[in-house]
Amino acid sequence: MNGQASAFVDSMPNEIATAATPLSFDEAFTLHHRAVFRTARSVVRDSGLAEDVTQEVFLRLYRNLDSTPGEELLRAWLLRVTLNVARNTLRGQSRSIARDSEYQKKTDEAWFASAPEEDYERRVALEEARVALDKIKEPMRSCLLLKQQGLSYREIATALCLKETNVGSLIARGRKEFARVYGKIGGRR
Amino acid sequence: MKECLGEEILQAYFDGELTGERMEAAALHLAGCRTCSASLRELESEADLLFSALAPEFEAPVPTERLQRRINAAITGLQVVSPARHVSISTWRDWLASLLTLTPQRTFGYAGLAVVLAFAVIFAMTYRRSNSPVATTQQILGKAPVNVRPSPVDQQKQTDNSSPADHDSAVAHAPKKLKPIRRNRTNTTPLPSNPVVAENEVKLLPGERSYLKTIAALDNTINSEKRTMRPALQAEYERNLALVDRAIAATRSAAKRNPNDPDAADFMFAAYQSKVDLLNTIADARVYNRPR
Repeated sequence: MNGQASAFVDSMPNEIATAATPLSFDEAFTLHHRAVFRTARSVVRDSGLAEDVTQEVFLRLYRNLDSTPGEELLRAWLLRVTLNVARNTLRGQSRSIARDSEYQKKTDEAWFASAPEEDYERRVALEEARVALDKIKEPMRSCLLLKQQGLSYREIATALCLKETNVGSLIARGRKEFARVYGKIGGRR
Repeated sequence: MKECLGEEILQAYFDGELTGERMEAAALHLAGCRTCSASLRELESEADLLFSALAPEFEAPVPTERLQRRINAAITGLQVVSPARHVSISTWRDWLASLLTLTPQRTFGYAGLAVVLAFAVIFAMTYRRSNSPVATTQQILGKAPVNVRPSPVDQQKQTDNSSPADHDSAVAHAPKKLKPIRRNRTNTTPLPSNPVVAENEVKLLPGERSYLKTIAALDNTINSEKRTMRPALQAEYERNLALVDRAIAATRSAAKRNPNDPDAADFMFAAYQSKVDLLNTIADARVYNRPR
């Protein structure tokens, strides 16, 4: 069975095996803008900022369309850029966030008060998950975020500049840590 | 029993990231190892927890259309090198596109424009026909006498020149071969020498002017005779004249079209010379047959 499978793989044309076909910009946007936006939002925690990050990421893709990897690793490339841009955005935003923290607190309270009960619970769960996630160190945290979006170990390794053999271990440690912290916060275990 | 599976192997097994042989080996081990099986179950529950906790983060709606608009606008901003040029091009495109959109009023407008253009074309063709080469030559011939100012010296020369036999030996080509004309013994035939000629409206070809002057002079001579020709002679004269005029017109337009072709100019001069010969013949006949 195993021999048959490898024989089948060997008989495949090279171009299919390497899958290095470049995507057009529009195709890349259609396929990956959700992953980019969600990853950005999971880092910056704000939809408006996540839009800014997404725009910047796809502008970089547009500028470097000739030098970006093929379809197989394009998502990993995009998410690596996303994480970098999002972190830079957070650094730039840190002062204004500190300044506006009081305002943000009031806004959140108002939103929580006006939201329906289901949305309220959902919102609380999300906040608890975010707090737990913040406790996990890098690169484990990013590994969990990317794994959540279905990236393979190879893609995660490419996106985070890690060795592929280390990814499994990082995910395992991150998952354990998350479960411990999240259990403490929400007692949901 | 083999050594228990490490957490990274167990995680990779759970995530389906192990290659064939390692996957088989891990599955075999898990089937016989309670510790590792318990670890795998724990892993599964933690993974479920993690997945459901992070789900709201990744399930929130994505503003696809707004993102697309923003990114397209940003890319357009990148592409615009000279905004004014692009604006003007797009404005022109819009304008042309708007011209192609047919509304009822615009259809009537286009129809009216087509009628006006058709009339303009008909008028232009009529005007061009009226200005056909024959008419042009006649116009030239008609205008030429006005520009001729005979000099007394030439008149003197003409009186000195008096052998009718020379007329037959006239060679028909270049302006210098116009001597037969000078043999006109009519004192009334003024031949120009260094005349003050205003530029005709019609652009003359090189060498053409002297022929035109000669023809005008001969025409004057013939017309100065009060006597009328015999009707038969008159008819023949006019027929021949028209024939020669047509030949002149044809050769002249050919010479104008091919300014660098010496043959075309020669044909034209030959035609002019034929007319000069014809006029000379008529003038001679009228002078010799003049009643004393």
